[in-house]
Amino acid sequence: MSLPLLSLMMLIPLVGAIISFISRTRNQARITAIIASIIPLIITIKMYLQVDPSTMWVVETYDWIPQLGITYKLGVDGISMPLILLANIVVPLTIIFALGETKQTSSFYGLLLLEQVGVIGVFSSLDFFLFYIFWEITLVPMYFLISIWGGPRKDYAAIKFFIYTHIASLVMLLAIFALYFIAWAQTGYPSFDILHLLKEYPSFSPVVKDVIFFALLFGFIVKMPAVPFHTWLPDAHVEAPTAGSVILAALLLKMGGYGLFRVMMPMLPETTNTSLVITVIAIIGVVSIVYGAFLALAQKDLKKMVAYSSVSHMGYVTLGFASLVPLSLTGAMYQQFSHGLITCILFMSCGVIQHSAHTRIIDDLGGLVQKMPKLTFLMLGGFLASLGLPGMSGFIAEFTVLTGAITTLFIYVLITVFGGIAVTAGYHLWAMQRAMFGVFNEKLGHIHDLAGYEMLSMAVLLLLVIFFGVNPDPVWNFMQAGANTLLAGVHII
Amino acid sequence: MNCLNYPYLTPELIVVIMGLVVVFLGLFIPTRFKKGLGCITGLTLIVAIADILRTGVLWESQRVATYFYDAYTIDPFSQFFKLVFLAVSFIVVIASIRRYREDSYQDEYYGLLLFATLGMMVVASANDLLTLFIGFELASMSTYALAGFNKTNPKSVEAAMKYYVIGSISSAILLFGFSLLYGATGTTNLEAISAYIGANGLASTTGIAILIFLIAGFTFKMALVPFHMWAPDTYEGSPTLVSALLAAGSKKMGFAAAFKVFLVALIALKLDMQNVFFILAIITMTYGNLVAISQKSIKRMLAYSSVAQAGYISMALVIMTPLAMSAGILYVLSHAFMKTGAFIATGAVVYMLTQEKKDLPDADYIDNFAGLSKRAPLTAFAMMIFVFALAGIPPTAGFVSKFVLFSSAIHAGYITLVVVAILNSALSLYYYARLVKYMYVLPPAGERLREPRAYLLAMLVAVIIVIAIGVYPAPFLQWAMNAAVTIGL
Repeated sequence: MSLPLLSLMMLIPLVGAIISFISRTRNQARITAIIASIIPLIITIKMYLQVDPSTMWVVETYDWIPQLGITYKLGVDGISMPLILLANIVVPLTIIFALGETKQTSSFYGLLLLEQVGVIGVFSSLDFFLFYIFWEITLVPMYFLISIWGGPRKDYAAIKFFIYTHIASLVMLLAIFALYFIAWAQTGYPSFDILHLLKEYPSFSPVVKDVIFFALLFGFIVKMPAVPFHTWLPDAHVEAPTAGSVILAALLLKMGGYGLFRVMMPMLPETTNTSLVITVIAIIGVVSIVYGAFLALAQKDLKKMVAYSSVSHMGYVTLGFASLVPLSLTGAMYQQFSHGLITCILFMSCGVIQHSAHTRIIDDLGGLVQKMPKLTFLMLGGFLASLGLPGMSGFIAEFTVLTGAITTLFIYVLITVFGGIAVTAGYHLWAMQRAMFGVFNEKLGHIHDLAGYEMLSMAVLLLLVIFFGVNPDPVWNFMQAGANTLLAGVHII
Repeated sequence: MNCLNYPYLTPELIVVIMGLVVVFLGLFIPTRFKKGLGCITGLTLIVAIADILRTGVLWESQRVATYFYDAYTIDPFSQFFKLVFLAVSFIVVIASIRRYREDSYQDEYYGLLLFATLGMMVVASANDLLTLFIGFELASMSTYALAGFNKTNPKSVEAAMKYYVIGSISSAILLFGFSLLYGATGTTNLEAISAYIGANGLASTTGIAILIFLIAGFTFKMALVPFHMWAPDTYEGSPTLVSALLAAGSKKMGFAAAFKVFLVALIALKLDMQNVFFILAIITMTYGNLVAISQKSIKRMLAYSSVAQAGYISMALVIMTPLAMSAGILYVLSHAFMKTGAFIATGAVVYMLTQEKKDLPDADYIDNFAGLSKRAPLTAFAMMIFVFALAGIPPTAGFVSKFVLFSSAIHAGYITLVVVAILNSALSLYYYARLVKYMYVLPPAGERLREPRAYLLAMLVAVIIVIAIGVYPAPFLQWAMNAAVTIGL
């Protein structure tokens, strides 16, 4: 019998979190956190070499609440495996980046580890009950991260984040119930199994199908977040501590995108008026890209700009999803992975600047390159990756999304290319120019550069971004297999 | 006393005998040894719990025995509720041993507590209106006295007075409803009533009158709006541990009685009941949550949250499908432990603060909870678990219960009800999260406190049960389903 690797992957950070919570010294908490978050990465890499990406690799199934057909069922395939890899890369690097944290360190690392547990759980659950539990669990540590270590308006931001996304998940829960009960009535036995429910879904009555579809869609795109449901994101990001922002942008947003691929994709062709639905989703995607980019352009606060850039970049995921072309779909998944890495660098840069210069207002900065050459180098790498420079992972993702979508969503691609890409390049470079280059603002006083652990963490991320930009195959092949399996069941109209 | 003829009555027998023993011994032994009476009480409750689990009635799916000319039944439903009452009392007793260890009247406290528990157990098993009423009154009378146990505290006396006056009136109303029912059907046996109504029908005006009186009488105990007025005052004024018993035990007795009478005897009036409880449930949960938001006193906040939770539970009386009833019963179990735990944690804070500073007014105000995670980390952690459970965050009992309850409502097509409940659930998150914020985010309001071990033990028991139901609900759900089957659904 093989080891229950996925459960172990969650159990180790969970145990680590508990040890970290009760640890007395700062060092003990730090060492626990690093060890507990890196072991899952090793497990992931081991799994990576075994998993067959084209089928669901069911690792574990146990009965849990048999009366209601609830099982503890975990599994991975080409859609989820790269995201689990992403989670296990991002969390250890975030912890390394945040080694300088001094306030309530034991709880801080404990919460980060709990986030890791929740996110891996979401990406690997194959039972809606389990999925929903992990989905909700990710909220709690983030609420604490924002409300304890956050900025001046942390109370408002934390509660807004919590309640906004909680309502979205409750709507999603209603849809899950509907799926469950109708499937129960049809098959005669209860089951929360995601794949089973998706198989039953096509035989529902049309109205019900649409209601369920839109309720789930709402739950997922609030999380992504897509315009017009993005308003919680800037608040949460601006107030969250750097590590919290990183986890939020790199992992929590990806849960929404994952939901689109895992759950919405098989449902999409079953809706009553599929072409209209695709139009709506495509519009949401394009508006997110273009409007998000313009919002980012207008920001005075560097971190807020990065937050809006997340909205804009996640729009590519929505757009790629709506295209229903294997290339774009793979690209959209790749965008999730790549944005997860790139956004870490951006938020970490903001964190370092805030910490060192005590402000993030772009106009108050200036000429930081003279004092912070190492940061500027890494940050520039991140910004260039974010604006889609060839040779970096973001380029591959966005390029493939657009190339694939030309055949099905030509007009939207056109709008994106003309409305979004130039602005994206614009706000990145403009912010970089004002904040980092030019004349040094003497009012800033003494500025110190990156600490060693911060540089290590950001440099590894940048190397990964470049590596996956030059050689996307290790992740791409997985996603492609996943996308092909998904689209095999979808008959394009 | 012949235990052999009544094999399933051992828990009741133990409780009644030990109740008398405790009161009797209390007359003779000096105050400093009276702590032992608390231990005896705790042991009694544990033995009674063990006996219920031993007989395994909970795993059956039908009635196991009836006694005393059909007046008293043993089935999964009765045993399930007895388990809830006994466990709640047990947790309360653990904390009480510390709280009242120097009180010279503590023998009365334990005696009353045992009799209150006995009353609740009788209600759970009653199959006859009179038996039910006697149990109801036994529990009520004992808790009236318990609510005023801090005789020197005007608030406590006021709480007891209010509880007593309103409680007596509602008992009278209830009794009047019973007498109408008896007059109309000629019997007090619940099943016989049901059979009579099934065969002969019931004049609609009589039916409505009976329903109004019974609903008014029961919803007083269940604290549904608009019969909830006493609850916040009583919960706030009573000694905190008694509030725990009231909110978790006595209130659940109201549900047990209501489930029995409405579902067994009056199932013919199903439609009218559903309409009434539909409105009551929606008003209750919305009102409870809205008012809870603005409370400064944590005990009051918990009281209103308890009102709101009663609104969720009464959804079961609207939906009335087997799954919904199981969900309602499971919710009763979960809520009992979440609420007891939350009240005991509050009690621990009040106790620690008053130990430090005598007659501190309003020790349970939210300001005193600021930075509690630094001052009393274990209490704060336990409180956080209870509060998240009440809010329905996984992996706690509160989440599982809400999950099953809301899903059963969707199953039965009550979309409006579920949407209201879910919005309420989100609304309640605000004040629960605020309390957690006070405990974990704000700077401490004082020095580190010494956490009383007895309270910690009580909270630990509650935390374990709350998490156990949340992580592995299968057996509890099975018990609840068996219980639902035996009351006719």
